[in-house]
Amino acid sequence: MTDTAKDKKDGGGEWSRLNVAPSPHIAAPVSTRRMMVDVLLALLPVLGVSFYVFGWFSVFQALLATATCVVVEAVSMLILRRPVRITDGSAVVTGLILAMSLPGTAPWYVTVIGASAGIFLGKVVFGGLGQNIFNPAMVGRAFVMIAFPAAMGAAGYVDAHSPVQAVTQATPLTALKQMGQGTPLTALLLGNTNGSLGETSALACLLGGMYLVIRRTASWEIPAGILAAAGLISAAVNHFGPGTPWDVWHHLAGGALLFGAFYIATDPVTSPLTSRGKWIFGVGIGVLVMILRYLSGYPEGVMFSILLMNAAVPLINRLTVPEPVGGHVRKAR
Amino acid sequence: MRTEDGPTPLERFIRGILPENPVFRQMLGLCPTLAVTNNVKAALTMSAAVLFVLFSANVIVSLIRGLLKPHLRILVFTLTIATFVTIADRVIAAFMFGMSKQLGPYVPLIIVNCIIIARCEVCASRQSVWHAAADAVGQALGFTLALLSIASIREVLGSGTWLGMRVMPGVWPDWVIMVLPPGAFLTLGLLLGLVNWLGTLRRRPAS
Amino acid sequence: MEKDSQTSSMKAGAGNYFVQAWLVIVLALLFGLALAGVHSALSPRIAANKLQETLAEVPRLVPGAVKAERETVGGIPVYRALDKDGAVAGWVLPASGQGFSDRIELLVGLDATAGRITGLYVLDQKETPGLGNRISEEGWRAQFRGKSTGKPLVVTKGGAGGESEIQAVTGATISSESVVGIVNRAVTAFRAALKASGE
Repeated sequence: MTDTAKDKKDGGGEWSRLNVAPSPHIAAPVSTRRMMVDVLLALLPVLGVSFYVFGWFSVFQALLATATCVVVEAVSMLILRRPVRITDGSAVVTGLILAMSLPGTAPWYVTVIGASAGIFLGKVVFGGLGQNIFNPAMVGRAFVMIAFPAAMGAAGYVDAHSPVQAVTQATPLTALKQMGQGTPLTALLLGNTNGSLGETSALACLLGGMYLVIRRTASWEIPAGILAAAGLISAAVNHFGPGTPWDVWHHLAGGALLFGAFYIATDPVTSPLTSRGKWIFGVGIGVLVMILRYLSGYPEGVMFSILLMNAAVPLINRLTVPEPVGGHVRKAR
Repeated sequence: MRTEDGPTPLERFIRGILPENPVFRQMLGLCPTLAVTNNVKAALTMSAAVLFVLFSANVIVSLIRGLLKPHLRILVFTLTIATFVTIADRVIAAFMFGMSKQLGPYVPLIIVNCIIIARCEVCASRQSVWHAAADAVGQALGFTLALLSIASIREVLGSGTWLGMRVMPGVWPDWVIMVLPPGAFLTLGLLLGLVNWLGTLRRRPAS
Repeated sequence: MEKDSQTSSMKAGAGNYFVQAWLVIVLALLFGLALAGVHSALSPRIAANKLQETLAEVPRLVPGAVKAERETVGGIPVYRALDKDGAVAGWVLPASGQGFSDRIELLVGLDATAGRITGLYVLDQKETPGLGNRISEEGWRAQFRGKSTGKPLVVTKGGAGGESEIQAVTGATISSESVVGIVNRAVTAFRAALKASGE
């Protein structure tokens, strides 16, 4: 056991690592728990639309993913003899976001394995909440995306015989990529299309996203950067390239862009610290999403873009260290 | 012959298997460890090729160790290793053509496998043929153990089979990620963590 | 050992190449001889393996064929499939192109006039396991059998019934389209070459 881990077990470790700074101090009621409750509140419109469009698929996936995340987190912490902090809500948020990023038709084992991989490979092996490099929900989704391409690929979303009407059609981005078909903007806004459970309605994502931004739980720079980059690139492609059924507004409202921009990319653990860094992070995601949408074999690229930019966060943080008041102190040579 | 110092042949043999396991302890030979472990058969073929090359190279280097010039020794090692790798590659291509296609460039790449040149440098160029032979077998067994454990996990989870035999029930959904490169990195990482964790438990019994 | 070699290298001086390198030269000669022996013993077998891989598929690709001879028609390398009387039973055409992940290598079986496809075999592919790699499955490849080469094949999703239609592998439209594209291009080029050569 390392010294810090030992300290942690004794209970004093976390405080001993904090630096004491001279006053004045601001007392703010920010806690992990408050932030997680905010995210849960912000997810309500998404969950509502998801239930309306996909019915019990949505409830089933949400409950299964959340329960798996909580159990895996608790069991891992017990095995590692660390304090179990289920009540901070982070595992619940990971589970819900993962469930909302899955197709409703995903078999139960896909959800269970995705949630377990997300918590274990995405969080526990790095040392728990706050130490992880990648967004745990996206790690879990990437794992099952590659592990079960038949369930998670474009074909996995469609079940022609499903009683749920949305599931019988191709997702809007697949329809665009494989058949060159457009989808009405109102459908993308309201959400009565096929897709991952939580991504279909642009309005629901915007509503929850606005709440997060106003509460300062999510930094506005990240979604702003993502939307600006994606909007500019799709505008440029539409202006110079051949006409496609999707214009700028489709690209902004369709797919997982808004869901990813507001709920996933803004994870404070896996995004940069400074305002400038957040802009770089957001623009990077937006550029990568559009590259993947236009040029890759996948219809959508939000998950891979966020994971790739997560990997760049330490670098971005190093590049954007703020200048102290009065400028840097030059080292005497 | 010079007086021998350093580990005895038995020590060399045992150390190679776990205490100085080339993959889990020395982190050498990771290229084949990652690249050819998506099924058990390929992993065993690769292990056999490494055993052959390591044994032959260690024995020959040990036999000529009195003639080696320090500044030319790496050249001699590489020459010896490359010869036996080429022989192994041709034999596999002649008698196991399908396997040779599957292993692709990874048999020729044994030439640059650091396990072998490290054993020539650490053991064979300093100790007797018996030491070198025992060392080669021990290290090759350690390498086999590592490849076999990784390949077993990957093949069982990724294809539901072990050495081509069905071991998982028919409803088992194959985890495709396990037979793809990410599965290799994940499995190796988790096994390394497990080996280190077990090592910690052994060194410091729970107080 | 270290001491010996140091004194000998000092005595010999930097210019004396053979004193320094005689061991390397001797070993290189010995190893070279050994490799030459291995090569001459095994290379016919390896060459036979490579040829066998293609030839073993010939009877399945071209009905009635028992052997094949490699040749070029209009610059296109192809295998002429012969029946047991030595008459031309058809052609086996190697074709390759970009798939979803990597290059796909195919063998296309054609009848004697290259008017119909008689079989398809996937020599090498690295498509997504579980999705795209199902192009190697017998059931999917069998769709190509009997298709006319007069019109380019097209990929459909769900329920292919038409004369020149190939049903895509579920969830792997791109892999399916790649294979069909490779077949179309290779067959068109070969038909033109065959016509030009006057056979």
